[in-house]
Amino acid sequence: MSFLVGVILLAVVTAVACALPGVFVVLRRESMVVDAMAHAVLPGIVLGYALTHDLRSPVLIVGAAAATLLVVLGSEYLARTGLVAGDAPVGLIFPALFAFGVLLVSRSFGQVHLDTHAVLVGDINLATFTSLTIGGVDLGPRHLWVMLALAVLNAAVIAALYRPLVLVTFDPSYARSIGIRVTGVTTVLMVLVALTVTAAFHAAGAVLVIALIVAPAASASLLTRRIPALIGVTLVIAAAVALGGFWVAYLLDLPTGATMAVGYGVVFLATLAVTGMRRRRVQPTDPAAAAPDTAHDSGETQTAPAA
Amino acid sequence: MGPLEFLTDHTYRTVFLGTGVIGVVAGAIGVFAYLRRQSMISDVIAHSALPGALGAFLIAVTALGIDGRSLPALLIGAVLTGTAAALLANLVTHVSTIRIDTAMAVVLTLFFGIGMLLLRVISDGPYPGKGGIGDYLFGNASVITTADLRTSAVVGGAVLLLVVLFWKEFAVRTFDPAYASGLGFSARIADPLIFTAIVIATVIGVKAVGLVLMVALVITPAAAARQWVASLPAMVLLSGMIGGLSAGAGTYLSIAVIPAPTGPMIVLVTFAVMVVSLLAAPRRSLITRALARRALRRQLQRELQ
Repeated sequence: MSFLVGVILLAVVTAVACALPGVFVVLRRESMVVDAMAHAVLPGIVLGYALTHDLRSPVLIVGAAAATLLVVLGSEYLARTGLVAGDAPVGLIFPALFAFGVLLVSRSFGQVHLDTHAVLVGDINLATFTSLTIGGVDLGPRHLWVMLALAVLNAAVIAALYRPLVLVTFDPSYARSIGIRVTGVTTVLMVLVALTVTAAFHAAGAVLVIALIVAPAASASLLTRRIPALIGVTLVIAAAVALGGFWVAYLLDLPTGATMAVGYGVVFLATLAVTGMRRRRVQPTDPAAAAPDTAHDSGETQTAPAA
Repeated sequence: MGPLEFLTDHTYRTVFLGTGVIGVVAGAIGVFAYLRRQSMISDVIAHSALPGALGAFLIAVTALGIDGRSLPALLIGAVLTGTAAALLANLVTHVSTIRIDTAMAVVLTLFFGIGMLLLRVISDGPYPGKGGIGDYLFGNASVITTADLRTSAVVGGAVLLLVVLFWKEFAVRTFDPAYASGLGFSARIADPLIFTAIVIATVIGVKAVGLVLMVALVITPAAAARQWVASLPAMVLLSGMIGGLSAGAGTYLSIAVIPAPTGPMIVLVTFAVMVVSLLAAPRRSLITRALARRALRRQLQRELQ
């Protein structure tokens, strides 16, 4: 497999693996929690490396996933104490963890070499360097297989828990009343997001990971309100922007991670502009045409999840 | 190096005072972001200030021919894009069904991505004084000059003066927006003022503390101060003090004890102060609460016997 094909595949697969759980993250209004999780990965990886001295060790993944869960559970605990107001619990823990990670890196703790740029937006080319070779056959970048496995895992879990996930997202009290274990389903989703954030961090860094998880689902939610269609459109946007972003970066010699992050933002704003204009044109002239559509929509998705 | 030796050295004293001013301003103004439950917006402002600071560098160097690292230019650029990002996130929620958290996440990554692209343009180009431009991410307090100290003191002082002058508006708007309108305080004046103060308090640390972690300096001192006091004036004072002292202590540690980037060190000191406050503040902390619960349980047992 040529290097270029490897990078492109890695970009697309990483985007798809992140976008899938992103649909539920956006619907559950937990986008800024992903911000916190993505930053927490750093100290987990550095400590894992200090213990094992092997950047490919699974201990790194475990450490990083544990750190992301620590942020989620810590924020929830802080919120439950009632001592900290509003959305502050999320913002209090992750900067401290990230600061700890940056300090460890800058002190070259355990001789780990990560540059700050890669920590923030990743270096997808670097992540492509290590190939997986079995029996002398080059099977492409090792990390591509990790992300592929994760994409399959995400798809399998979401498919298996599809109905409970949708119910818990939109109407947790109803879900509980018909015997769905709300906490269990939520925990499974959070573990899935934690694993995804951790694995994607290697190629995408803390800030691009947020874009990969949140932006495709956010753009798609402007276009459709039915969940199956939402998932489909999200995956198409995720893959298309990863591909487009990679080519733009390649042709203009720009950093891939930053270009992709900007690409997702621009696509979101463009979708917003187009749908906004269409709505403004439709509404005043022909309310009847728009009405049945909205009525249908509100039954489907507008039920606010009780936080 | 001992603290006394540290403070008598002119360079170190400048650095110490420089980060101290940043800590005081961010801590005091952060109370309003915290109490209005808009803590995460300062994370969006901070990340989104990156393209502004770097754009200001480019314009200063190429068009104006001045030093691109001058703090006033950086602050103007940072305030412009930081404000634009926060307004854009709000606008998105008004024209669509997108929620504020999602809007914030998308806007943050878009602006920060543009900043990282500019960073590449600058580091590839032949611009004078581009060394250390990457410090805007995690801060480098050792580059604070006397001029920088003066600028942050003037800007920070102006923002604090704004709070004192419009104290009533700030207080009423923060606690009871509806009542404020009823009293005739115009939201159209108070809200932009509070917002401007929060933006400046967030970007003032661009050079010394870095943008990625500024959210911690804005909201952590406020969360810590809230555990000790219950009135707004006391909270603003205490939060400013916690911010200033943590910044000073963090700077000292990062220069004299453990050589490390200043921003992360300050964040860790501030976080430690908050943890202690949550655990042990006399009136509402976790330990106080546990002790009170135990006393109640004992009393109940006695009464039952």
